[in-house]
Amino acid sequence: MTVLGAPAHRELPATARQSVPEPAVVAVRDLSVAYGENAVLTGVDLDLFGGEMVALLGASGSGKSTLMKSLTGFAPITGGSAVVDGHELRGLRGRELRAVRAGVGQVFQQFNLIPRLSVLTNVLAGCLHRTGPVSALGHFPAKERRRALELLDRVGIAHKAQDPARSLSGGQQQRVAIARALMQQPRVLLADEPVASLDPRLADSVLGLLRDIAVGDGIPVLVSLHVVDLALVHSDRVVGLRDGRVILSGRPGELDTARLLELYSDEEDPDVDDL
Amino acid sequence: MSTTSEVRPPAPQPRNPQLDPLERARLERSVVWPRTRTLATLPILIGILWWSSAGAEFDPLELGSGAVNIVDYLSRLWPPDFSEFGTIVRLLVETLQMAVIGTLLGSVLSLLMAFAASATIAPPWVYYPARWTMNVIRSVPELVFALMFVSAVGLGPFAGILAMTLGSIGSIGKVYAEAMESVDPGPVTAMRSVGASPRQVVQFAVLPQAAPLLVSYTLLLFEGNVRGATILGLVGAGGIGLELTTAMRMYDYGHLGAIVLSIIVVVTVIDQCSALIRRRLT
Repeated sequence: MTVLGAPAHRELPATARQSVPEPAVVAVRDLSVAYGENAVLTGVDLDLFGGEMVALLGASGSGKSTLMKSLTGFAPITGGSAVVDGHELRGLRGRELRAVRAGVGQVFQQFNLIPRLSVLTNVLAGCLHRTGPVSALGHFPAKERRRALELLDRVGIAHKAQDPARSLSGGQQQRVAIARALMQQPRVLLADEPVASLDPRLADSVLGLLRDIAVGDGIPVLVSLHVVDLALVHSDRVVGLRDGRVILSGRPGELDTARLLELYSDEEDPDVDDL
Repeated sequence: MSTTSEVRPPAPQPRNPQLDPLERARLERSVVWPRTRTLATLPILIGILWWSSAGAEFDPLELGSGAVNIVDYLSRLWPPDFSEFGTIVRLLVETLQMAVIGTLLGSVLSLLMAFAASATIAPPWVYYPARWTMNVIRSVPELVFALMFVSAVGLGPFAGILAMTLGSIGSIGKVYAEAMESVDPGPVTAMRSVGASPRQVVQFAVLPQAAPLLVSYTLLLFEGNVRGATILGLVGAGGIGLELTTAMRMYDYGHLGAIVLSIIVVVTVIDQCSALIRRRLT
């Protein structure tokens, strides 16, 4: 499953070098998700391994966002199973669900930072699950503050730490959002259309950063994209969804264009909203 | 935002839905004539207006002849008699003090109530009782609360403060709740995604976004309470209202004029200050 066939200029993820394959961090088996009568995902299988960047492709409404949501317990799982870091998500609620969510870093298309709070506080919000009641006064331990600043160094915007998040440009905001996700010390990182609101140059740099995280931290990064070329350049593996089913999966070099285009051919209702 | 909507449209749309040619022609004209549907509502609106004005005995002619009396009454307030200026200032300060405490208590309790009355925060079994409670409070005039508290804790500003506090839960609690409901859901999703508890989600995603509106509404509440405290005095619940009623009953027009002028000055100053603060916030 991992990236033996990755192009030479890429550093191989740690898992690829090991002879014994590590267990999948995310294991989705025969997953079905439905909103009432409306089946959005049907029989989806997906494994995500540490150190790989997996691109999720598909037309609007193919179920990309819903698949991401089902990995964080935001979508109603009606069949099959979704296991994240050893925890079955199906039927999980309350405190236990929050504990699993804490282990899944998420990055959103609209960044979803809290506009009036400082960049630093936004990053610190990523560790809320482990601060407990102390955060009621807006207090974070020095250790966490140091970690947050180091993460801001890593994404290259530590100099903006005190500015309100809304004063940053789109690309910078997405970097803050990535730092916030890393603050969770996640076991897996999900990025739902993270570059759809950015121009091509910023898109490249944000995807490059996500790739570095996958490789550097040895965690799986699942990124949904709607630009095929970006997926081919930046990912170790491409998974294609159509009408809620996985219809292709493979390394970028192995996929032929015809099959990729199949993802977007409009046989039926092309106008449905992205789920 | 379509990407987060969780409901798929019920049925696939037809290929290329066409705009009705008649509608197209209507929309292309530079002056858009209201639709028949809109025109049909006009007589209904006029009917309601006529019915209401008849019921409320609204009579423009009587207003015209009455205007003379109003001018006469107002002219008697002039010149104001500031011989008891010390008393006026003391009572105005008391009114302000009542408003400060009433606003503080009212806004804290309203905020708690608003958490319960936000559809996005509270579960339905908390939400609906909270909304009903606020509706009941809102439908009772503050003056009635004042009378209730005067009989409970005696004459004086304390009764007034209690009336103000209770009254503000009904009015400002609802506005707070709506401010919190209308925040951008994106950051809320993000906070839930990091595994934050419901309390943390409110603290880090809802309150920071709603804060400018909440402060703005609190200033409005304070302005309202200053004016409200004046009226509460009428039933003996402290403040300058009592002095105002006494002056009216004694036909002491000079003193009355001085009181009214002083109130106008104070309310104007507060209004300007809070407008300044609100401009800073946004």
